[in-house]
Amino acid sequence: MLYKKMFRDMKKNLSSFITIFLMIMIGIMAYSGIEAYMDGMKETADKFYKENNLQDMIVYGQNFSDNDLKTIKNIQNVKNVERKLSVTGITDNDKTLLINFIESNDISKFYVVKGKGFEKDAKGVWLDEFYAKENNIKVGDKILVKYEEISLKEEVLGLISVPDHLYDVRDESELYPDRKEFGFAYLSINEIPEDYIKSKVMKEMNIQDKNIFDTYLKDFNYKDYIVYNSIMIDVEDKSKRDIVKNEIEDKLKNALAITNVEDTLSYVTYQGEIDEGKTYVGVFSGLFLFIAMLSVITTMTRVVKNQRTQIGTLKALGFSNGKVLFHYIGYGFWISILASIAGLFLGYYFIGTTFINLEMSFFEIPNGHPEMNISSYIVAILSILIVAIITYITGRSILKENPAETLRNKVPNVKGKSLNITKNKIFSKLSFSTIWNIRDVIRNKIRTFMAIAGVTGCCMLIVCALGMLDSMNYFVKLQFKTLYNFNYKLNISENITKSDLNTLYKKYGNHTSKTLNIEIKDKRGNRKSNNIFVTDADNYVRFVDNKNNLISKPKDNGIFVTYKLAQTEKYKIGDKVTWHIYGDNNYYTSKIIGFNKDPQNQNITMTRKYLENLNINYNPDTIYTNVNLSNIKEIKNVETIQNIKALKDGMEGMLSMMKTMLVLIISIAILLGSIIIYNLGILSYTEKEYQFATLKVLGFKDRQIKKIFIKQNNWVAIISIIIGLPLGFYLTDWLFKTAIEEHYDFAASITLQSYLISAIGTFVISYIVSKILSHKINNIDMVTSLKGNE
Amino acid sequence: MKESLIILKNVKKTYKVGEQEFSALDGVNLKINQGEFVVILGPSGAGKSTLLNLLGGMDKVTSGSIKIGENDIAKYNDKQLTNYRARDVGFIFQFYNIMPTLTVEENVALIKDVTDTNKKVEEVLKSVGLLKHAKKFPSELSGGEQQRVSIARAVMKNPKILLCDEPTGALDSKTGADVLKLLKKQADNDTTVIIVTHNSLIAEVADRIIRIKNGKVESNETNKHPKNIEEVKW
Repeated sequence: MLYKKMFRDMKKNLSSFITIFLMIMIGIMAYSGIEAYMDGMKETADKFYKENNLQDMIVYGQNFSDNDLKTIKNIQNVKNVERKLSVTGITDNDKTLLINFIESNDISKFYVVKGKGFEKDAKGVWLDEFYAKENNIKVGDKILVKYEEISLKEEVLGLISVPDHLYDVRDESELYPDRKEFGFAYLSINEIPEDYIKSKVMKEMNIQDKNIFDTYLKDFNYKDYIVYNSIMIDVEDKSKRDIVKNEIEDKLKNALAITNVEDTLSYVTYQGEIDEGKTYVGVFSGLFLFIAMLSVITTMTRVVKNQRTQIGTLKALGFSNGKVLFHYIGYGFWISILASIAGLFLGYYFIGTTFINLEMSFFEIPNGHPEMNISSYIVAILSILIVAIITYITGRSILKENPAETLRNKVPNVKGKSLNITKNKIFSKLSFSTIWNIRDVIRNKIRTFMAIAGVTGCCMLIVCALGMLDSMNYFVKLQFKTLYNFNYKLNISENITKSDLNTLYKKYGNHTSKTLNIEIKDKRGNRKSNNIFVTDADNYVRFVDNKNNLISKPKDNGIFVTYKLAQTEKYKIGDKVTWHIYGDNNYYTSKIIGFNKDPQNQNITMTRKYLENLNINYNPDTIYTNVNLSNIKEIKNVETIQNIKALKDGMEGMLSMMKTMLVLIISIAILLGSIIIYNLGILSYTEKEYQFATLKVLGFKDRQIKKIFIKQNNWVAIISIIIGLPLGFYLTDWLFKTAIEEHYDFAASITLQSYLISAIGTFVISYIVSKILSHKINNIDMVTSLKGNE
Repeated sequence: MKESLIILKNVKKTYKVGEQEFSALDGVNLKINQGEFVVILGPSGAGKSTLLNLLGGMDKVTSGSIKIGENDIAKYNDKQLTNYRARDVGFIFQFYNIMPTLTVEENVALIKDVTDTNKKVEEVLKSVGLLKHAKKFPSELSGGEQQRVSIARAVMKNPKILLCDEPTGALDSKTGADVLKLLKKQADNDTTVIIVTHNSLIAEVADRIIRIKNGKVESNETNKHPKNIEEVKW
């Protein structure tokens, strides 16, 4: 029978229970959804990496021979090796393709989305699925790929995803992959034309005549002359990779750099997204849950307290305390079980799937799906337990009294002392409604605190969501307006001759830079990968200090280190950094002469002159120019032409993805905020109904009573906004400083407009809800309200 | 002569209000027989409801003893008091205190959750004239009908003692008389009915009239000529 009573009580107090249901559901939906999305990201990648055997290490160099392969394979702990030739090619419609010529496909295997898998003897190309989709290329289509003098017309044999190409950009300065313009392709090594290799070898040997060449090199096998530039290594035990690395360095003189897969751009970017997300899980979903639970606790306490007389009656009828407690625990228990199930379901299918799908449009990885995490179940169970415990504690406190006491309505505990402050002179000048509300707040501190906490949390979330967008926009401005002071960036081919370089200088100017991949050795002898930006770009690439004010480039007697790197490594001005270039075992020691801020790259900067003073050759890899290249698609000896506008557009593309996520977060914040305001409004209204009825009896007009009611809610909203705005800033700043990938250096930069939108938005929501609730005052039945309180 | 079912000896009950102690009952001695129809009269704050609460095991004495049959319920712990309320006592309140979300028959059947009873809901409802309203919710009933639900619920457990706190206080005189008839019927069936009221007219139908003032029994008289309910001019 008590079950019937419980369900009917729920039906009777439907609005309270619906809000409890919604708050728990939204809280758990947000938590489990973001968790499922993050875990899904991780699980999807782990599975993809494992099934498709992502390499453990990569050796970059030149001209890796069969013997080199054998040498590496014979190193202890090496399971398998594969070499490839990776070059940047152009298609007939001026798209850029990273072309990989391979001999076999056992490491970083293709995931074939459509078409057939790798066959060494197959004639054709396996194409990046995303690129193909963007360019409407299908299996069986023919594409033309050009690389140096080779022009290959190849049939598309398959559309693929590859585990080391989850994230591909032409250049690290591009933050957002442009799949329409840039993709990857794989071909069998057999597809490299013999004539091309032959002519290259002839050129190198300075032989003009083919006949002479054929006579001279009778046993010429062109495959022996293919210049493989990377080797993928699969190891038995990842923890022993350093040993393998050292042995390769000793045995292979043509190995320029050896990188663990965890340091590659594709891996780092994907992992960074997961790490970033982990902080979001903690912050956003934690906040959602916290706000929701605060409100649920308040509501549940009130629901049980409102049943006081019924609890007394049940006791009077002979129901044991345990039975009554069990009955009331059921109220919160069942509703929170249902809400938790709904939250977990919606979290997985709505938030998890939406976010994963967004990510999967950014990262090229098949079968992306959310993954329900055990912590989501734990959070759901904890939420149920918290509600049950709160119900238990409230119920128990009522049951502690004897039935006679319980049957009497609890007289509000008005402590004169606490209200004495409102007898001061200042208060006597205030209006009745103001004093009434001040006293009501003093008497209901917990309810007021809960309301402020709830609304503050929502205001914070809105500020944070808008602030993240602002900060990203600010970053775009800093990067593409302040630091980059050029229109085009030309990435020069690796083997360019001096005369060809001079030709480029003549046409496009000589503002150049070079990026050196280095290893920094710390005091304990640990080595860390990094890079040095060597500038000879004058004002085309600028520098800023920690406050984003422009500063001059470093002088020629030392290096600049970025603030974040200095902070991580505890560098001070005057400290010395020991480093060596990959492929060169000479170590150099450079003095830190200043710090600069770089939002994207935490590295070292030096001038060309300083580099040359160290007796290191400066051969630039980039030219910066303001020459109009809008109609030029291809430049000889330039691998890629990057337009700053395109870089900016790419960044904005990433922002638009972020916007979708933030819109979702803001929507949940607004929804949750509205529910909380409505819920606490209902509680506050219910508690005041008797007093409002009395005021009505005394002749107060509905309008006056509504004013009293709305006034307090407005105060709560204003106080919450005052607290929520700065907290929102700190939350955003904290998120940027801790959640974002290591190589970024972002800080919150929130515009006045966002603060205004958050403040006005929060106030308007609160006001609308109060206005809706205040209509109840019109319908107060004076007799019933007053009698019910007897 | 009937046996004394209830014997109170020097019952005291004090409440603490802030720093001050307030004596609600100050040495009450009483004997009430089984099957008696008792009315307790007294002004507001005299201690009537406190006495009723103590008799019903809803509150605990400060000192003294309350014997119900052979047992002193003043010495009972919470669990024993719960069992006592479940088995032996029926309550009827001024504002009915029936569960608003249970139907009439469900309110009565609720008793089956706390004690074994051989009474049938239908029969009990019939006896209070509510059978046709069995499926209705309390909000669909008049005040008198709601009080009858309350009586039916109390009767359902076949209690030794029926304690009524102002049972007609919220009803008009005709409905009040109907309710009293039902209560009288319970006394006729050997249930001890104790009514606390301001209304001295009710005393005219009682077997015993107890007057309380300032926490003390002012008088405890047997009504030698109790009237029939129809004879009382309400």
